[in-house]
Amino acid sequence: MKNLRKYLKVWWMMSKNSFIQVLINKFGAGVFLTGKILRFVFFMTFIVFLLKGTQNLAGYSLSQTVFFFLTFNLVDIVSQFLFREVYRFRPLIVSGGFDLVLTKPISPLFRSLMGGADILDFITIPPLIVAIVILARGLNPTAISAFFYILLLLNGLLLATAFHIMVISMGIITFEIDHTIMIYRDLTNLGRFPIDIYAQPLRGILTYLIPVGIMITLPAKALMGLVSYQGVLVSLAIGVLALYVAKRFWGIALKRYTSASS
Amino acid sequence: MKKYLAIFKISFAQEFAYRLNFIMWRLRNVMQIFLIFFLWNAVFTDPTRVVFGYDRGKILTYVFGILIMKAIVLSARTIEVAGEISSGDLTNFLLKPVNYFKYWFSRDLSSKALNLGFAASEALILYLILRPPFFLQTNPWLIVAFVISLAIAVVLFFGLLFLSNLIAFWMPEQGWSAQFLIIVIFTDFLSGGVFPLDIFPLVVQKILYTLPFPYLLFFPLQIYLGKIPVTQVWGGIMIACAWTLILLAGLKFVWNRGIRKYEAVGR
Repeated sequence: MKNLRKYLKVWWMMSKNSFIQVLINKFGAGVFLTGKILRFVFFMTFIVFLLKGTQNLAGYSLSQTVFFFLTFNLVDIVSQFLFREVYRFRPLIVSGGFDLVLTKPISPLFRSLMGGADILDFITIPPLIVAIVILARGLNPTAISAFFYILLLLNGLLLATAFHIMVISMGIITFEIDHTIMIYRDLTNLGRFPIDIYAQPLRGILTYLIPVGIMITLPAKALMGLVSYQGVLVSLAIGVLALYVAKRFWGIALKRYTSASS
Repeated sequence: MKKYLAIFKISFAQEFAYRLNFIMWRLRNVMQIFLIFFLWNAVFTDPTRVVFGYDRGKILTYVFGILIMKAIVLSARTIEVAGEISSGDLTNFLLKPVNYFKYWFSRDLSSKALNLGFAASEALILYLILRPPFFLQTNPWLIVAFVISLAIAVVLFFGLLFLSNLIAFWMPEQGWSAQFLIIVIFTDFLSGGVFPLDIFPLVVQKILYTLPFPYLLFFPLQIYLGKIPVTQVWGGIMIACAWTLILLAGLKFVWNRGIRKYEAVGR
């Protein structure tokens, strides 16, 4: 408990510094936020007009398709908000500055993953949650479906954490982060729409190998009452397993850190 | 001309210096195509269905066309200009007997050549895997008009991208933000790079056609697909030409103002 409080305090300190850093450059932050909102609006407009023309997508109605899209955005934005530091990890490894992280009395994994929360993502989370709640109520979920939705959303964030740990671990070994993280983003982008639209074997890959489906599509399906208890349990097991594997991989990568340039 | 050919060759060789980066970048392009391809594939499960004026063959040609067109039109090194202005590296070029605009245009062409080579191979591999139906344009006039509109799009994008970089003269730290908004957001969506613009109501399409963005990808592809009547094709090409001239004139004007403001900070 004491440890948790310590880490919360450290996280808050690091996040506050990161927020201040972003807000110093108000113009840039404003443009970036505007761009993010515009991208969301453009995509949403596309979905609305597309579904007006086609009536359904892979059997899902307009509100269901929008719900998939909003759920994708929630998982994506929350993980970017929490793990923005991953995008700044490469210079630490290339310069050897990671040595300084290793010598500090906090977990280097925690520092590397969560050392710089992104306020611009944080700003967009509350309106997104409000939109999800409003739309979800229109889908008339049962209490158990809503519970499964929240549970599987948390599981989705667990999987996102595992992915980010994998990315920084690979960064230590290969010195490459920028493209790996963007490829991860591209893969999760495939979850903007229900993975039912993809043909096999891509659908299978997105469900089991790179579980974008479990991260994004499954929570939304659970709210619509389309996921069984067994499905929920298997998803949770995959989430925990992915985190375990990622942690092990991080341990292996850490042993291969060469402290280059320092 | 000879020196710009040399710049083209050097820039081409430079692209190979970071091979892994380049391959990863291309991989990302392919994954983006997957999303659009399967999305439209799901819409057109019934091969006889026609939505927004597209049948299955035309929409999947549009998707593959976007992959190729992006390589030709949107691949560019000019994105680095803002960095050169803010770091003061621009000074090196001002002292050399090269035209700065021609220098970057040569580099852009080398980037386009390389990306086109890769995009064509990727399109071929994706074609062999996905086996989509294709629409082949046979009208020679439309093919000529398509090639002309494509050439205009290349120059139009050069003007747009260069102009967005010049904000760095006044705000050295903000070059990336202008690029993010104008290039990543507006260009990607409003040029038809993510979805065809004719899914919108006619009034929205008319407004979009008054902007330069649709003339980058959407308009040339519409010509290729034969979705624009021949009588309207040349009118559209004229508007694209007008936008290109406006942007190039704007570029010259802003450059002349910016260069007076330039202080070679860091040099």
